Amino acid sequence: MNFRRRDVLGFTIAAPVALSLSPAFAADRAEISREVLLTWHKLILELVRHTATYVPPVAARAFAYCGITAHEALAAGNSKLVSLAGQVTDLLPLPARTEGAFDEPCVLHAALQATVAELFFNTGPTGQRAMEAMGRKLGETASAGIDSAVVERSVTYGKTVAEHILAWSRADGGAVVENMGFPMDYTPGTRPQDWVPTNLIRLQQAPLLPGWANCRPFAVPSALASDPGPHPDYDEAPESVFRGFAQEVYDTGRSLTDEQKLIARFWSDDPMLTFTPAGHWIAIVLQIAERDALPVEVISSTLAKLGVAQADAFISCWATKYMYNLLRPVTYIKRHIDPAWEPLLITPPFPEYTSGHSTQSGAASTVLTSVFGEGFAFDDETHVDEGLPMRSFPSFAAAAEEAAISRLYGGIHFRFGNEKGLEQGRAVGAYAAALRTEA
Amino acid sequence: MRTVLFLAIASPALAEPVIPTFTDETVTAGFSTTYEGDWEYMVGGGVATFDCSGDGFPEVFLSGGAAPSALYLNRSTQGGALAFEKTDAVTLDAVLGAYPLDIDSDGVLDLVILRLGENRLLKGLGDCKFQDATADWGFDGGDAWSTAFAAIWEKGQTWPTLAIGNYVDRKEEAFPWGSCTDNWLHRPDGQHFAPPIPLTPSFCALSLLFTDWNNSGQPALRVSNDREYYKGGQEQMWHLEPGQPPRLYTEKDDGWKRLRIWGMGIAAADITRDGYQDYFLTSMADNKLQILKDPASGKPDFADLAFRSGITAHRPYTGGDLRPSTAWHPQFADVNNDGWLDLFIAKGNVAKMPDFAAADPNNLLLGQADGTFVEAGDRAGVASMGIARGAQVVDLNLDGMLDVVVVNRWTPAEVWRQSGDNPGAWVQVRLQQDGANRDAIGSIIEIRRGKDVERHEIASGGGHVSGSVGWLHFGLGASETADLRVIWPDGTAGDWLTLPARSFHVLDRQAGPKAWSAN
Repeated sequence: MNFRRRDVLGFTIAAPVALSLSPAFAADRAEISREVLLTWHKLILELVRHTATYVPPVAARAFAYCGITAHEALAAGNSKLVSLAGQVTDLLPLPARTEGAFDEPCVLHAALQATVAELFFNTGPTGQRAMEAMGRKLGETASAGIDSAVVERSVTYGKTVAEHILAWSRADGGAVVENMGFPMDYTPGTRPQDWVPTNLIRLQQAPLLPGWANCRPFAVPSALASDPGPHPDYDEAPESVFRGFAQEVYDTGRSLTDEQKLIARFWSDDPMLTFTPAGHWIAIVLQIAERDALPVEVISSTLAKLGVAQADAFISCWATKYMYNLLRPVTYIKRHIDPAWEPLLITPPFPEYTSGHSTQSGAASTVLTSVFGEGFAFDDETHVDEGLPMRSFPSFAAAAEEAAISRLYGGIHFRFGNEKGLEQGRAVGAYAAALRTEA
Repeated sequence: MRTVLFLAIASPALAEPVIPTFTDETVTAGFSTTYEGDWEYMVGGGVATFDCSGDGFPEVFLSGGAAPSALYLNRSTQGGALAFEKTDAVTLDAVLGAYPLDIDSDGVLDLVILRLGENRLLKGLGDCKFQDATADWGFDGGDAWSTAFAAIWEKGQTWPTLAIGNYVDRKEEAFPWGSCTDNWLHRPDGQHFAPPIPLTPSFCALSLLFTDWNNSGQPALRVSNDREYYKGGQEQMWHLEPGQPPRLYTEKDDGWKRLRIWGMGIAAADITRDGYQDYFLTSMADNKLQILKDPASGKPDFADLAFRSGITAHRPYTGGDLRPSTAWHPQFADVNNDGWLDLFIAKGNVAKMPDFAAADPNNLLLGQADGTFVEAGDRAGVASMGIARGAQVVDLNLDGMLDVVVVNRWTPAEVWRQSGDNPGAWVQVRLQQDGANRDAIGSIIEIRRGKDVERHEIASGGGHVSGSVGWLHFGLGASETADLRVIWPDGTAGDWLTLPARSFHVLDRQAGPKAWSAN
């Protein structure tokens, strides 16, 4: 483990003048901020799972805005932190705080509450009820014992931070998702290698979010800045390279070990049934934060950079997917190898190349390695509630590589889609890793 | 008759089916019950239809959620306009749904009431009077959010086994997900119920159905679960062998295939006429039509033929709201009496979810000879934009043409009388046997359709918290007779009967068939 404790333990809260009467008080407030941040993010994970439009690219976008909101809310009151304004695309400097004392938990809570309320405005009645309950309970926790004028000032500022971030978010091209992300009309390609629908769900006869690459990226200069280049030449000939990749998916699927099945399901991260791939990596960070008692500033800056990396990864990956528009293994295999073949996992309803999970896992692992170091071991209990056992990883890179190969085991990606996805994601992640959050 | 039916089957497959005509008689019929309430009543809203007055006409019980439930006595005349008298015979609060069932086999139907809080068993006393028998019958009503029901008489038992589906732990506020409470199996112990057996794991059931999916003679319990709330969950099926603990079908042992949907209702019928039950599962957006892939394999592996059959019903077909649909109560019935089963689906937004249709019309999908369905809800007049939940497709005025009653959230329940000139023939039968299980729940009715035999399970359960006991309706198309037989719950097959079209018959196991008339 190569955990850089100086980066973590070096943080203490930069206390607002009126409230930093004692180190113990500051520590208590920092602990409450930490609770606010972690609890909201646990709810955000559930909202992602339970909100119908929260397919993986949309989820990644929300994680980015929530992470940035938290970081900016804290950075405004902490001279050791650096705002992301001017670093991420089109984010203007946040409004300065007014005169007077502020309470950081109240600022953070109000900022997250307002941000979550807008990003998940469309969640169902249970999500609405949960957001209301969370707002009430955490609001009470944050404000207990704090002068009411300070609470009011802090809440107002927190809402100001949220509105600044939300106003920025509304113009990114990803704020409106209709028909659960599937276009009402779609003209399929006519080349033999073009993607075609892979299931019998009427809604999914068009591919998911074909215009997502037009969303404004956060840290990468453009959607195709990290494009990994074309896939192997499409070929149906029995001895062709391309056919070999399809044959590998087929052969692998027919001889899966129990461990390989477990890996495929562990990283399946299906939308509407899990936190999505991006949420899986957020959950990993939350687990590490709990295990290592990370200070709130470390958690928030990590969530911000991770969110940026994953959101950009999906934008980049989607640009690649719709540029090449490659069919899925199940289509090729049924046409040319075995009409009766079925993959272990449900094939996602969009083109194959590159693998989205691989791309965003490559990006996530790059960012997290930059924060926590090489060889940072961790346990991942994200899916224990779903009946899948904890898995342990020696490093973020190892986890990302397992996530990538899981798509081969699941029968939903060619090997090259996974490997090029990882490569693409690592390049994307480097931009997010370069963001400066500390002074 | 066989020739007639064969010709009907062989007729041009894509001819437009007969579109039935319905008249909204909600106001004139005297219906005034609304399913009210907030979050705790976002599901539920059931209808029960059954004859408690003894005149053969089905009464209607409507759940009211946070508002009172109501029993409506059927005052209609045969073939006439619908007329009901609202009573306070079953005025309860917190009711989500109800199913009629003659629990004590005294020949008078009782009511199983599903509630937010303690469920109740109401003993029928005759003349539409009821008495709470929950305690007397040793029934533990629990304190859950009960949202599904099914019943069956297990072999050797004189009292039924009741399965109750339960939903989310309603006390969980901020993190309700993953808090599905256990479904309960209430088995009999003599003339009352033993303590319930938890059906663990439970995944927030919204529909339960005992069904003999493989024609083994041993029904299993299908459970349709709402994926919104479970963790690690999926659709389920339980083995229920007499005297044995319930046992879950698994992928490893039984070949069960994982399916995760917003399961809200189950409808079963042999629409493919292969002798096996097919299952329609309601959900959000696409719905499922499950057909057993290979009966010979013995594995519960189903193909989804909803797309091919034109029955996905995934978005509104009229009204201009193109967002995905939300489907609740499904029911197969031959609404246009052409001999092919149709499908009614009650539709409505969960509440005000912006990603799903707000104006979400009910479906009436008319079955055709080629296995496909044609939407006719708007043309038939039942495409209400109310926020529908439970429903029953039932002949309320005993004219042979099925009517429709639907419970809506926040707006009054609706009832439509089928009023057009329906040229198709029909027959209606009611099963009866001495001793336990007077209404012969768990029987099979086989009806010949040309060279095919269509197999109907007579079940108590399924749908969305809505059920019926009474006349069993079969459309006959151009045929003037019906060839059918009953396979009674113990597996004994009755004789094949030829019944005249447009008639009612009580099929008494001991006394034989007897024509029935409303006069």
